[in-house]
Amino acid sequence: MTIGDARIRIPDRITRGELITVNAIVAHPMDTGFFRTADGQPIPAFFIKDVVVTYGDEQVARFEWTSGISKDPIVSFTLKADKEAPLAMAWTDNKGGIYKQSVHVAFASA
Amino acid sequence: MDESKELLEASGEWSSRRSFLRSFALLGAGLLGSSGVLRGERLLAAAGRSTVAGDPEVPNEQVAKILKDLFGDRPIRPGHISLDMPALAEDGRIVPVIIESDLPMTSERYVKAVHLIVDHNPDPHLAAYYLTPAIGSVAIQSRIKMKRTTWVRAILETSTGDVWAAYAHVNVSINGCG
Repeated sequence: MTIGDARIRIPDRITRGELITVNAIVAHPMDTGFFRTADGQPIPAFFIKDVVVTYGDEQVARFEWTSGISKDPIVSFTLKADKEAPLAMAWTDNKGGIYKQSVHVAFASA
Repeated sequence: MDESKELLEASGEWSSRRSFLRSFALLGAGLLGSSGVLRGERLLAAAGRSTVAGDPEVPNEQVAKILKDLFGDRPIRPGHISLDMPALAEDGRIVPVIIESDLPMTSERYVKAVHLIVDHNPDPHLAAYYLTPAIGSVAIQSRIKMKRTTWVRAILETSTGDVWAAYAHVNVSINGCG
């Protein structure tokens, strides 16, 4: 994966009103700024600092991160699936990089 | 505090580090007139998991300021939140965290924020999770870095202003922060 590649996983079959678990990962080095390369060069801080979760038109969550989050950050959380709509996430790093991914929440036909 | 940290890092071999750490903990507990560290160790020995009840001492000005800025003078009480972490983290670069709460997520009352604070990390206020009722429940999983053995605090704030906390003591073998 290259920096910013992101995946969001939700259950295959969802019924209206169900509480689903959302798993997300983004490829990112999450450098703290405290490490050096093998030849002694400092590695500058480079990390995701902000994550916005949107469901349809609504911002449902926002996360503020530091370089204390592990490399290739994962996060999982729940969502009340009460409408058929896109679930979108946007990760922003401290150098202005914005990485986006979305999945569509749709209900299994009965 | 910084002097003792250097000593710790310079003391080399793990077993001597460990015994030094222990003597330092004893000294610290004696000086502060508190048995928090020792109590934590005993509970760790008794239970495999690291989640314990009770409030660990605020270790330094940095953490004290974070708590003050976030919660002011409101009481931070244990309860309504769980923090599940390993008692022993071999690799401080990847330490799993699970935070859950039994509080409701309705439009009238919900958990609006969860803060994760790692006492002895370079940047202790590691993450903040701002939530809305649409999230449905508090069940957050992540992976974090830890510099060394310390307490971790998960503290939530409700939409009505209540503050609830859970604590975990994690032993870290390999520094994950550089």
